[in-house]
Amino acid sequence: MMRFAPAILSVAVTLGAAFAYFWFLRVPAIRNHPALYLAGFALGAVIAAVAVWRSARWPNIAALALSVALLVLGAYFNFVFARLPAAGAVLKVGEAAPDFTLPDAAGAAVTLASFRDQRPVVLVFYRGYW
Amino acid sequence: MQILAISPDPNERSQTLAQKLRARYRFLADRDLAVTRRYGLVHSRGGPSGEDVPIPTTVVLDRRGVVRWLKVADNYQVRPDPADVARAARGL
Repeated sequence: MMRFAPAILSVAVTLGAAFAYFWFLRVPAIRNHPALYLAGFALGAVIAAVAVWRSARWPNIAALALSVALLVLGAYFNFVFARLPAAGAVLKVGEAAPDFTLPDAAGAAVTLASFRDQRPVVLVFYRGYW
Repeated sequence: MQILAISPDPNERSQTLAQKLRARYRFLADRDLAVTRRYGLVHSRGGPSGEDVPIPTTVVLDRRGVVRWLKVADNYQVRPDPADVARAARGL
């Protein structure tokens, strides 16, 4: 059992990083650094690689395969899939936001300019519920 | 401070989301993305089935409607910390 302690550690680090990604989605300070979970996968891969280098037994190889697979998928997700294009040059700090009127949940028309001289406004553009 | 949350979602769906999150947001439906487009915030064919979607963006406006703080996401996993938004809006 102790012989495969590095393999078990590698799997624990790798899966721990994967669970932590979902666990901390609501904690901005962690969520906003998605490369952290890639670092976890990379650490799992290094531990497994050392174990394989010492002894090419199947538990070590399986741990290496798992951590490398998650590292590759995670890197693709973070650096390619989740990337967004730059916004058009409409909004600039110090310039007025374009006015608009849109219906709210009750169907009532809401005009941005109606808040003028009343209170500050935070606009949140979001992609919607999929 | 007034929070206006704008998405192409139909309002019933946003309402459900608001109840689920217990959020004091006012949800506005921009069904055809006309306003989102006017703000330069459309991600062409960025949706799961190739439809246009908004680029997640948070904008803080002062009482005169002038942009004072702005965060446009470049990775959809990253969203502004509400504490940063509150700090930007404080005292406006």
